[in-house]
Amino acid sequence: MQAAYLNTRVTLFKSRLWPGDQVSALIDAHDDELPVLLEQHGLKLLAGGYVDDDPRSLEARIVSILLEETRILLRPLTGESRQFLLYWIERFEVSNVKSLIRAKMAGETVSATAARLLDLGDFTRLDADALMRVEDVTELMRRLEHTNYAEIVRNARQAFEDSHDPFILDATLDRAYYDGLIRRARSLAPEIGASFEQLLAGLIDRINLVWLLRYRFNYGLPPAQVYYLLLTPGYRLTPERLRVLVAKEDVKAVLAALPDELARALAGVDTIPEVAARLEQTALDHARAVLDRTDHPLARTLAYLMLRESGLRDLRAVLRGRRLALPVDDIRLAVGA
Amino acid sequence: MLRVELLCLASEVQECALLLARHGGFGPATREEAGSGGRPGEHYRELYLDASTRLDKIMEYCGVHDPAPVQDDAIAPNERELAGIDERLRTIWQACSGCHELELRMAEEKQRLAALRETYGRLSALDVDPARLLRRDGLLNTRLGQIPAVNLKRLGDALSVAGYLLTVFDRAGDQAFVVVAGPRSEDGRVENRLGGLLAQAGWRDLAVPPELRTDPSVAGHFIDEEGRRLEVMAEGHCDLRQHHWQQHAGWLRQARVLLTLARPLAESALLGLSGKGQLAVFSGWVPKRAVGELRSALEARFHGRYLLLAHEPGPDDTGKVPSLLTYPVWLRPFTGLVRSYGVPRYGEFDPALLFAFSYVLLFGAMFGDVGHGAVLLVGALLLRGRFAWLRWVGSAAGLASICFGLLYGSVFGYEDWIVPLWQSPLHDPTRMLALAVASGVGFISVTLLINIYNRLSAGQWADALLDGGGLMGLVLYLAALSGLRGAMTGTGFGMTNGLVASAALAAMAVGLGLKSGGSMGERLVVALVETMETAINLFANTLSFLRVAAFSLNHVALTLAVFTIAAGLATAGHGIAIVLGNVVIVVLEGGIVAIQALRLMYYEGFSRFFAGDGVEFRPLSLAVNNNLGVKT
Repeated sequence: MQAAYLNTRVTLFKSRLWPGDQVSALIDAHDDELPVLLEQHGLKLLAGGYVDDDPRSLEARIVSILLEETRILLRPLTGESRQFLLYWIERFEVSNVKSLIRAKMAGETVSATAARLLDLGDFTRLDADALMRVEDVTELMRRLEHTNYAEIVRNARQAFEDSHDPFILDATLDRAYYDGLIRRARSLAPEIGASFEQLLAGLIDRINLVWLLRYRFNYGLPPAQVYYLLLTPGYRLTPERLRVLVAKEDVKAVLAALPDELARALAGVDTIPEVAARLEQTALDHARAVLDRTDHPLARTLAYLMLRESGLRDLRAVLRGRRLALPVDDIRLAVGA
Repeated sequence: MLRVELLCLASEVQECALLLARHGGFGPATREEAGSGGRPGEHYRELYLDASTRLDKIMEYCGVHDPAPVQDDAIAPNERELAGIDERLRTIWQACSGCHELELRMAEEKQRLAALRETYGRLSALDVDPARLLRRDGLLNTRLGQIPAVNLKRLGDALSVAGYLLTVFDRAGDQAFVVVAGPRSEDGRVENRLGGLLAQAGWRDLAVPPELRTDPSVAGHFIDEEGRRLEVMAEGHCDLRQHHWQQHAGWLRQARVLLTLARPLAESALLGLSGKGQLAVFSGWVPKRAVGELRSALEARFHGRYLLLAHEPGPDDTGKVPSLLTYPVWLRPFTGLVRSYGVPRYGEFDPALLFAFSYVLLFGAMFGDVGHGAVLLVGALLLRGRFAWLRWVGSAAGLASICFGLLYGSVFGYEDWIVPLWQSPLHDPTRMLALAVASGVGFISVTLLINIYNRLSAGQWADALLDGGGLMGLVLYLAALSGLRGAMTGTGFGMTNGLVASAALAAMAVGLGLKSGGSMGERLVVALVETMETAINLFANTLSFLRVAAFSLNHVALTLAVFTIAAGLATAGHGIAIVLGNVVIVVLEGGIVAIQALRLMYYEGFSRFFAGDGVEFRPLSLAVNNNLGVKT
């Protein structure tokens, strides 16, 4: 009964995804038509975001739409499946944690910090008001250790105290979050099946490969440290494969040493942004296939949420691009339309 | 309740806010209601929140919780003074915070040293000289240290990428003591190969005294020395708590008073304060009877340097006017259950009294037993702590149960111990069911009357007359019931009843048709469907009251079941079965009946006339009432 409800819900939500040609129409639309087009697709919130001048509020509105849809999808779920989906949207609160830390490092005022934070409504678990008013990062981290994010933050505090490097902090927080996601996903995978695992594989392998390339060649970290920051065990990028990849001397060599499936997906690609974009597109194609064909409702739910988030971010790119009066071709390139 | 705008000089805004808080009759409007204009108290509020957060942390850290009495003539700090208070509190908290952080680190270090003492013991038993192992001129780059055990595998794998080996030689709690060894790089620096890897894994270097191998007792001395060093370091930093608290105590108490005085303006700044240039405007609500008194207080303090405008709420204020809710002491325990449904709108009927009376009555009718009621009464009187608020509600329910027990003649299910004042439910179930339906008819009629009153108060005449919950609904309900009664007693439905009910139905349909939008066809469909739904609901809700009789019968049936089980057992078993059976009845059935009574109140009662979307009047006050939009 619950599975049927969730499947029906996801199928109904599927109509909210924007096909490529409609995104393209949005890029070409006249200024007056844009809010109308958005409202017609049930995105009144984004139409408001287009009209006002605060680009950050657009992000907040996207999150608000995602949270509202997730709230509906959560209703029939119980147990581990529910916990997984709740953890999935904890990303937004982890993002708030990072914003709080950065704001405190930069000595920002409380009101400036508050403006950075995403409003998560009923999903909020942190007492942001109290956290914004701490004196320094150390006090902030100590307080965070008494919240639901203790597990994610504990290692980060020690690493930060030793290095005082914000990058280390961010990387440690991200890794801790995704470690938790993989752990939860692996415990659910036998029940849900291959389609769910493949969705996670697309996400985690993309994150791992992009992190590896950035840490290694943009930030110049030594192989051992890069390996430590990656998500292990991954999926197609096994620990053994990652050990080989981190030791490579340039992007080309890394791409040449990838497993066949990933190498095929990345054929003709040779820069880090291209790798990120191509892998994201591959993951989204797979999510679309899961949404159309798979019968397990949680796999379909996750696929829908991935596609919805990506779609909304594309719309944000279009809206921002138009507001900044960027050339239409650049906007098309950004959203792959 | 009157809508007021109080204009004052911006330079006197904090005094004005303080006066309003001391008066206790001014409730700030919401930000949307306060209108446009600058926010003169915005910075003041930020300063207040920063300062009060710091003060709370300091007081918490110093373990001081004594209240700060506020003198009647004390004045609120201005923005400059508040900034000064905040700055001084910042300095004190930084000292406290540093000290607190040091204490935490010291606790961690003490744990570490305790673990280290054992580790050194094992290390000295090894046939290895750790001092030589760590020499900087060896072929190997070796480090001794500890890391959280949870990071062992990941660190070991990562180190192997750089050709390093990690070996665990001891564990203590969640920490692992390890040796890391690998080829020395040309300049001898580990960092070249590992970067910030060790720091990221939570690495702590293990200090090894050079004499450890030759004289194992040196480890003990070393650890004692370290411990003493930590104590001295902590003492040096903890002057505030241990030595200077007395020096700051007086000022901190004074700061607490000043922040209490600053609170009203901070609170107003979040809600109903706007302004421009030299003027500030407080927007809000004042009970009618308090306006004169407020005007006198303002005149006495500001001698004409203010303007107080008060007027009746306008049409735009519908739904925004706060409700002033005051209750006698005996009714207050019940109001929590009403609030859990919502707050009545301004001018609406407040259902608290009706709720208390009906709830207790329904509970007693469904759970009528002198013995069980007495158990409930005693149990409720014994409630303490966070359940104390249920004491009076439980006692009232217990008393109602005793009263109905006397009517039913039931004591712990025994119906031959006392003579019933009326009758046992099981002796005439049909009569019980009829009475339950009659009570439902009475209850629903009252709720419809209340709804008519509420609609008329809100000026919604059409709804009051034509809505299914209004006059026509009531007419339909009573006419149809009268007709049904006639049909059941053999006198027939009756022409008059039929005509009246039909006319009421038609009027309701017209009302719904007029209210709904769309084409004529849509209006007809809406009118037809919703009229039918309203009529069906009225009767379904009435039948819902059958549960009152059903539960009173159920109560008797349960006790009979207990007696039947007990009758089949020997003396001891019989007693145990009777006692356990009664415990089950009180706990299980008592709980179910409490929920059913609440359900009847909420769904058959409140939903008919009570939207619960009102706003409670919360006046500015010197007491903390959390209107500041921060989680406390």
